[in-house]
Amino acid sequence: MAVDTEPKKIIIDTDPGIDDAMAIFLALRSPEVEVIGLTTIYGNVYTTLATRNALHLLEVAGREDIPVAEGSHVTLTKGTKLRVADFVHGTDGLGNQNFPPPKGKPLEESAASFLVHQAKVNPGKVTVVALGPLTNIALAIQLDPEFAKNIGQIVLLGGAFAVNGNVNPAAEANIFGDPDAADVVFTSGADVLAVGINVTHQVIMTGSDRENLASSNGKFAQYLNKILDIYFSYHEEAYNTKGVYLHDPTALLVAVNPSLITCIEGIVRVQTTGITRGLTLLHNKQKRFGEINEWSNKPTVKVAVTVDAPTVVKLVMDRLMDL
Amino acid sequence: MASLVSNAHGGINGVLGNAEKLIIDTDPGIDDSMAILMAFQCPEVEILGLTTIFGNATTEVATSNALLLCEIAGRENVPVAEGSSEPLKGGAPRVADFVHGKDGLGNTFLPPPKAMKIEKSASEFLVEKVSEYPGEVIVLALGPLTNLALAIKRDSSFASKVKRIVILGGSFFALGNVNPAAEANIHGDPEAADTVFTSGANIVVIGINITTQVQFTDADLLELKESKGKHAPILSDMCKFYRDWHVTSDGVHGIFLHDPVSFVAVVRPDLFTYRKGVVRVETQGICVGHTLMDQGLKKWNTTNPWTGYSPVSVAWTVDIEGVLDYVRELLMKP
Repeated sequence: MAVDTEPKKIIIDTDPGIDDAMAIFLALRSPEVEVIGLTTIYGNVYTTLATRNALHLLEVAGREDIPVAEGSHVTLTKGTKLRVADFVHGTDGLGNQNFPPPKGKPLEESAASFLVHQAKVNPGKVTVVALGPLTNIALAIQLDPEFAKNIGQIVLLGGAFAVNGNVNPAAEANIFGDPDAADVVFTSGADVLAVGINVTHQVIMTGSDRENLASSNGKFAQYLNKILDIYFSYHEEAYNTKGVYLHDPTALLVAVNPSLITCIEGIVRVQTTGITRGLTLLHNKQKRFGEINEWSNKPTVKVAVTVDAPTVVKLVMDRLMDL
Repeated sequence: MASLVSNAHGGINGVLGNAEKLIIDTDPGIDDSMAILMAFQCPEVEILGLTTIFGNATTEVATSNALLLCEIAGRENVPVAEGSSEPLKGGAPRVADFVHGKDGLGNTFLPPPKAMKIEKSASEFLVEKVSEYPGEVIVLALGPLTNLALAIKRDSSFASKVKRIVILGGSFFALGNVNPAAEANIHGDPEAADTVFTSGANIVVIGINITTQVQFTDADLLELKESKGKHAPILSDMCKFYRDWHVTSDGVHGIFLHDPVSFVAVVRPDLFTYRKGVVRVETQGICVGHTLMDQGLKKWNTTNPWTGYSPVSVAWTVDIEGVLDYVRELLMKP
């Protein structure tokens, strides 16, 4: 991918997380984008640990110059009963490796304020890659009515479109983490591109991909190889498969190169109550309804429906094995 | 072979010794009328009765139409039991008269029926027949599931005694038809639907993700009209209104055969493939009426609202030409 213009500015909103770590390293290895900040959120771990892991990962990469802004510790409705996926990512979020604490500190500014500020100074130029629950993005939208317009694009990993979820049959983990926030983001009028697990479940790092990764002397390859054990074990247990889904790396690469997917446009609403809380429901406008409904007159978003999985996996491998 | 005697003046319905005993729970309705008249022309089933429900029309109108359809088929002896006039949680039901006309039969305004409904309510009738023939009665449910939920609540053994419940309802991993989240029959009484899906009964569900694949085009409708089918003239009249709604709503120059397809699933289950999974219905929020099936692709590490219920069979694919051939054969039978 030739870089003939200035790189796209991206902010990664993240809850690292093993596949978040992969996505962050991929971003740092992608000349098409310039990472101007990380914002943190609960999800794979609590927000405090997400912040610590974000700082740690930037230190591993030797990129302490990139700012980290800590995000919300509670959901948009001030919920604190957060579901944290330590059974997927380890209690430290990074495969139970007991890494030393980072030296760096997060900004004084909150994640939402950082997002608002960056979008304002670079209107239309900043892409947010949202890899966790969407609380920070929703707070930014509520903080500044102009945010939805100022932000270039929001590429989010979230939802399960016309497939089962991964938290329960109805809901995908990131949306389930804060359904109210997700509904705010989807209906905000911002340029939103949703990459759901209907797409990321097609992008698999196999056991032999991992052996290749292990054989590389690359710094990132070596680091990731260490933390991937628990992620592979979890997938074998939950899905009876020897590979792992590359959720966050796929979403990140879609932000880098949107031609890796095809998408459709429609209105997405999120169910916020009941047994299907966290369900993402896309109205692709193929059918006309006689009556006004909850999807009527809402702005549209883009939803990924197909992905060039072999190319995504190849990009992940090439860029992470690169010395 | 009692059916042979009781049906003696009514044609061929149920003449096979091994005919399936069938109760149709219905809200006629244009496509309900097609399904009911098909059933009366079908030797593989013996119709024990019709039970009525709101949906395409009010329950009262549905009862009148059910009686009328029996009369049209020359089967005035078939009992019609009136069902609930409102969903489990109460309140006036949504009636799809913009799809089926004011009279539920495409504004054909036929004269009123001569026969009367029976004294028993739909749920009483369902419980009675299923108890009389345990393991033998199939219920084809073509409307909201209120009567079936009431039968399940009335008799705790109903779910285990009914042979099979074939349900037209829901939309699995596809758009609804009332709104993006919900299909009309399930939306009509989501609490009842959730009761039925989680009852443990042997359930086959045909969603509109299947039935909308099976259409009668304008050419098919013309062929029906010009056929020697016993009920072709009256059905052709009814279908005009229904067809015009499809053009505005879906851009389809023809009609979806929701109810006829579901009837075919009773007698020709081999024309479909199925997947088994627990189905729950959302009863709250913007997705009220949404049917959600756990496909069982993931081993959940915690319990969730789908855990612990019996799986049902969800129609997954359909042999479109096979179903159309069968529908044509029954509708065009003199």
